[in-house]
Amino acid sequence: MQKGILLLCLLLMPALAAAQTEEKEIAAPAGSPFNQTKFVPDIALILDFSYVHRNLSDEQYRTSKLPEATNTLDEDKTHGKDNADLNSHRGFNLNYAELTFSSVVDPYFNLFANCELTETGFALEEAYFTTRRLPAGFQLKAGKFLSGFGRINEQHTHYWDFADRPLNYLSFFGISGLNEKGAQLLWLAPMDTYLQFGLEVLQGENGSSFGSHGYNDVDKTVTVKTAGEPNAYVGFIRNSFDIGNLTVLISASGAGGKCRVNSGLDTRGEEGYALHGSTLVGGGSLLLKYQWDSTRSISLQTEYLYREMDAARYQKDSADQVAKYDLTRKQSGLYAQLVLKPLKRWRAGVRYDLMDRNRIQTDDPSAIAPPEGLCRYTGMLEFNPTEFSRLRAQYNYDRSKYTEDGPGYHLRPNHEVILQFNLAIGAHGAHAF
Amino acid sequence: MLKLRHLLIIPLLILLHSSAFAAKLRVITTYPYIASLVKQIGMDRVNVQSLANGQWDPHVIIPKPSYISKLRRADLLVINGAQMEIGWLPPIMQQANNPKILQESAGFLDLSKQIKLIDVPRGVSRAEGDIHPDGNPHYYLDPYNIPPLYRAILKKLCELDSLNAEYYRANYAQFDKDWKGRLKYWDGQMAKLKGTKVVEYHKNYDYLLRRYKITLAATLEPLPGIPPTSKHIEEVEQVIRRTKAPLILHDVYNSDSAARYLSGRLGIRIVKLPHDVGAVREAEGIFTLFDEIVRRLTR
Repeated sequence: MQKGILLLCLLLMPALAAAQTEEKEIAAPAGSPFNQTKFVPDIALILDFSYVHRNLSDEQYRTSKLPEATNTLDEDKTHGKDNADLNSHRGFNLNYAELTFSSVVDPYFNLFANCELTETGFALEEAYFTTRRLPAGFQLKAGKFLSGFGRINEQHTHYWDFADRPLNYLSFFGISGLNEKGAQLLWLAPMDTYLQFGLEVLQGENGSSFGSHGYNDVDKTVTVKTAGEPNAYVGFIRNSFDIGNLTVLISASGAGGKCRVNSGLDTRGEEGYALHGSTLVGGGSLLLKYQWDSTRSISLQTEYLYREMDAARYQKDSADQVAKYDLTRKQSGLYAQLVLKPLKRWRAGVRYDLMDRNRIQTDDPSAIAPPEGLCRYTGMLEFNPTEFSRLRAQYNYDRSKYTEDGPGYHLRPNHEVILQFNLAIGAHGAHAF
Repeated sequence: MLKLRHLLIIPLLILLHSSAFAAKLRVITTYPYIASLVKQIGMDRVNVQSLANGQWDPHVIIPKPSYISKLRRADLLVINGAQMEIGWLPPIMQQANNPKILQESAGFLDLSKQIKLIDVPRGVSRAEGDIHPDGNPHYYLDPYNIPPLYRAILKKLCELDSLNAEYYRANYAQFDKDWKGRLKYWDGQMAKLKGTKVVEYHKNYDYLLRRYKITLAATLEPLPGIPPTSKHIEEVEQVIRRTKAPLILHDVYNSDSAARYLSGRLGIRIVKLPHDVGAVREAEGIFTLFDEIVRRLTR
């Protein structure tokens, strides 16, 4: 037996030796006439990890909602987030690891892809190309991307000044923002002040304000056809100018499209509802940033969003009986934030969120007027050891989330502290203004 | 629909308005010293503007949207290169979307390609702080490295605007003569410092030190881009005691509290040096930048 093993070893030895030399050759690819390692795109990995303490239990937190805001969380499932927003659990949260790839494709195009890795899933958050050589200040972007609507929507979460999404964006576009397949055309005016116009044609699948897929109820008494796709359109204007060390950036945006939402209308034996109509969202933003020098600055940023949704609402009870009502939502909200950077590595900020208007008009006799004046107070302190690492402590006092147990809405005030760790390795590119 | 049509007129008006100007070559530079060099060669036949302000830390320029508009209409972009602009320029270039000034286009000039860089690291790891894989990017602070830069600018201006080539060459000849004359004066002044040991905050002036045989004893930053720590400052204090270094070379944009602490304990002199045109009031152009560096060092 032992002899057999010895023999086997002897036989294998040349093969192993051959494998070793082969490895060596691979390790020194410079000799290969077909070597392509120099064409590796820029790759970066960004980790977002947090420790959360809040007075609501995870179950209470999950079932607390902004009243009449988000239509469905189905849309968010497609983003691989298991219906969970950032920092949704007490204790430790692995929010995401973002893997980004970018490179010039050829003289005519750039390509960018952003894959969001979670513990259980993989989601292609963005994958788009942009043109490099269109004349007269035009640029075309197409693929899946974060819409240029407003200011904060286009920014990746790790670029925000706070750990979470403002309430107005959360209400109207959900936990992934307005992130759609589509095309965007930008035009930059040939002037000394920055003036940019943008138009987007989007598939319009956002489950909070749009949605295009048709549906039936279980007994096919209601049939809603799929809306024409692409389904949503966005337009925006941005203008920026400098007054000495002060930079001003203002923008106005609008988004409109059909709204088709189905939340359980086709599930037998359970309550469900569906919407069929159209939505318009308008927004304005203002940013003032004053720089004392290259390390010290103060900035004030605010955005106001308004949504009007006209729809038919189909309400199904557990006996599968469907009733149809008219529903109009007129909602608006703003956030305003002040961020001070007094030293190279430190930043501190406060933010105020307010959903001031939350009106619904409906002929549903059982409807209850949703609460208005939902608000949230936030403070944060940040230490950035380098531009590749960030430690942030944030406190939220949230008076915007309600439960619908029993009749009416019940406020669930939430105090939470988030310790956020954000780290980047690889070719992490510079950020835009 | 009427409203939409009205909106479309706005871009048209702007286009008409802008085409009324023209003629002069529009040159955008990342830093003021480059604008000053372009001005020497192009004089009033080019329109030159720097994006960054000379008082700011050149590594961390905050990219303003107005920079995008400036690049949008540029015929030529001249950069320092050697990764100095990596933290702020790429997104601006991408958004400006001007095919004339893309990296591979004729209207793009990277001055670092004219210089053999020093301190090129063998391995690259961010554990060593904010390092520059291509070598030390502050090459332009050696006055002998300036002539290759303005020669490259001359060549580029002649290539893009051949009608004015004679004019540019004449300006070049005069500037070159003046510069070489000034070099002799600076050499004479700096000779006094030969063999001196100095401390720097950041490795901004290594090319200058090397040129005039001045030795770097220590930097106040423990690693490039990392602010001084008390432990590191203690070590620097020991180095200063041992080497008897008489000067701390300090930039104008970083906090000088560590330098003042050392100066208070050891009597070492802090020399605030301009790192770019506009960094201090006296350094208003490329000649006065070096005049002021030399004057402050040899005072």
